[in-house]
Amino acid sequence: MIKREVMVTNQAGVHTRPASMIVRTAAKFKADFWIQKDGYEINGKSIIGVMTLAAEQGATLTLLFNGADEEDAADAMEQLFAGGFGEVK
Amino acid sequence: MSNARDIKIDPGDEEPPAAVQDAGASDRLQGLGVSPGIAIGPVYLYARAAFTVEHRELAPDEIEDEVDRFEWAVQSAEHGLEKILALAREKLGDESVQIFEAQSMMLRDEALYQEVVHRIRNKRCNADYAVMKVMTQHRQRMEASASEYLRDRAHDLQDVQERLIMHLRRGKHFSQIDPATIVVSENLTAADLLIFSKRGILGCALDRGGATSHVSIMARALGIPSVVSLHGITDVVQPDDLLIVDGIDGNVIINPDEETLAAYRTRQERYRRLLQEHKQLAPLPAETLDHVRVHLRANVEFLEELNVLKDYGSEGIGLMRTEVLLLMKGEEMKLEEEKQFESYKLVVQTVTPEPATFRLLDLGGDKMLPVAHREHNPFLGWRGARVLLDRPEMLVPQVRAILRASAFGPARILIPMVTNIEELRRFREIIEQVKDDLTKEGHASAADVPLGIMVEVPAVALMTDLFAKEVDFFSLGTNDLTQYTLAVDRGNDLVAGLYREIHPAVLRLIKRTIDAGEKHGIPVSLCGEMGGDPRVAPILVGLGIHELSASPSYLPEVKRVIRAINRSEAVELATRALLAKDAEEVSILLDHWLGDHGCKLDQFL
Repeated sequence: MIKREVMVTNQAGVHTRPASMIVRTAAKFKADFWIQKDGYEINGKSIIGVMTLAAEQGATLTLLFNGADEEDAADAMEQLFAGGFGEVK
Repeated sequence: MSNARDIKIDPGDEEPPAAVQDAGASDRLQGLGVSPGIAIGPVYLYARAAFTVEHRELAPDEIEDEVDRFEWAVQSAEHGLEKILALAREKLGDESVQIFEAQSMMLRDEALYQEVVHRIRNKRCNADYAVMKVMTQHRQRMEASASEYLRDRAHDLQDVQERLIMHLRRGKHFSQIDPATIVVSENLTAADLLIFSKRGILGCALDRGGATSHVSIMARALGIPSVVSLHGITDVVQPDDLLIVDGIDGNVIINPDEETLAAYRTRQERYRRLLQEHKQLAPLPAETLDHVRVHLRANVEFLEELNVLKDYGSEGIGLMRTEVLLLMKGEEMKLEEEKQFESYKLVVQTVTPEPATFRLLDLGGDKMLPVAHREHNPFLGWRGARVLLDRPEMLVPQVRAILRASAFGPARILIPMVTNIEELRRFREIIEQVKDDLTKEGHASAADVPLGIMVEVPAVALMTDLFAKEVDFFSLGTNDLTQYTLAVDRGNDLVAGLYREIHPAVLRLIKRTIDAGEKHGIPVSLCGEMGGDPRVAPILVGLGIHELSASPSYLPEVKRVIRAINRSEAVELATRALLAKDAEEVSILLDHWLGDHGCKLDQFL
């Protein structure tokens, strides 16, 4: 199990499109994936879950990974957040 | 198009009762009569779009059925989204594509799917309610967000919720319909109407739809008086209003007064008598006074229609459409050879010793393809023969099924939308190959299964002298032939008036085809809508046609006209029609001719 902190950098926050990118990326890995925000935890492989985080720009999220490829999954996810989902920052 | 309304039952009948004409304009709506007959009864307002979700507690033995119903709705919603996605990829920007992709992901999301199933099983509530509850919870979380933009994204969840509920209702709503009512709806599918008919509805009135919509064809097949294209009837009727549906004149009257009601009851009775007359006409041959025999066959789309063929005196099937047959059950194409074989065998056994003409899958154009596939110009695109030659996995099982069915009675194979002779040759090769395979596998089939082509592209009509050497029969598809010849999309209101099957250009192509058939000794059939129009029957007989195919309910009137005319006189009419300048001139010629020859085709009643 590994844990990473990421920040939402894009202007619009984690809306429908970024949520689908997160879920698609998570689906490439076997590792289980959870996201915590303000004490609320959701399954990061569920698009509805990710959407209900309603994570706006500047929000800090805790990402939890557990599984054989957890390192790779965490790196990929970090990159996705750092890139702001290819949107305006 | 013309239909039963143009024909008078009995030339000596009295004028229509005044009330029929004078019913107040405010309660009368004019639409398009697509299935003749009069229905009088209370309204059953069937609204697909209403989203009030009611809670219902399930009995223990209903729970798993409800889970299945939910799964079915998810599948059906996925399928619907696939189609939207294909369109979005073509016409809309990346952003909407991604939204629809996201919606598609949500359908199988555990936060929705598992939770709904869990709720159905543990709280024993109906799926609609479970979907609403689960989605509302998620939405509320999003709506609490500080960001207005993110709050608005809750709409995407709302969309998914409504989509699912809509699909859930399609699978279920029917159970509540009352028998002996008239269904009023914005639109219906043929499958909807079939299920309604099993509940014993009296009639049908729709906002949308046209004469050749599948729902209209189904209404005719089931004998349900129907009026479509009423634009706004769902806004003006209330549940349980009394309604008169006049499928002959294409009228609907809401809450008629006593006098109107009495008039229509009389009219209903007279229509019943007309049907009686048709029954008496059924066993008589369609033969002109000078003994030229015309074969009247049926255009069939649904197996349900097989029951009525005898009543209308049809001699076999001139056009068995197979698209709807294979598309009806749910949304997926059902192409398994065995299922097709069972259907075709039933068709062949029903009409033997008369032939059943199976048109191979005619997809594309206005007929939905199984793979969502959009083209800018579908009528000039990938359709009919062109699809089949590219998709042997669709073609081969169908050919196998038809050939196997031919062991039970005469069958013919008809290729749609052929343009070039090379296409025909490739079909022949494939069919020969399939025949060999079947023989090797020990399946029985008839030694001779005639192979014909639809003549619906002007290029083919012009070349029928060459095609005639390589086919066993022609079938004139005058609907498409007219569209392609006159460059008119009849579904386009702006130009629909230019769509005239009796245009001399179309008549000349028909003549050319008939002549080529005669010269090479192969039969020529006509299966477009004009084949069912009693008014134009004299022209067609005059052009030399010996085989007409139409919706079964149109056949008796066509027969009545054929039995009243002389072929030799019809030839004169046809000769003049071929020389006419335009459709209008043909129409005037025809009116005079019909009048002069004592077949005054007047308003029914």
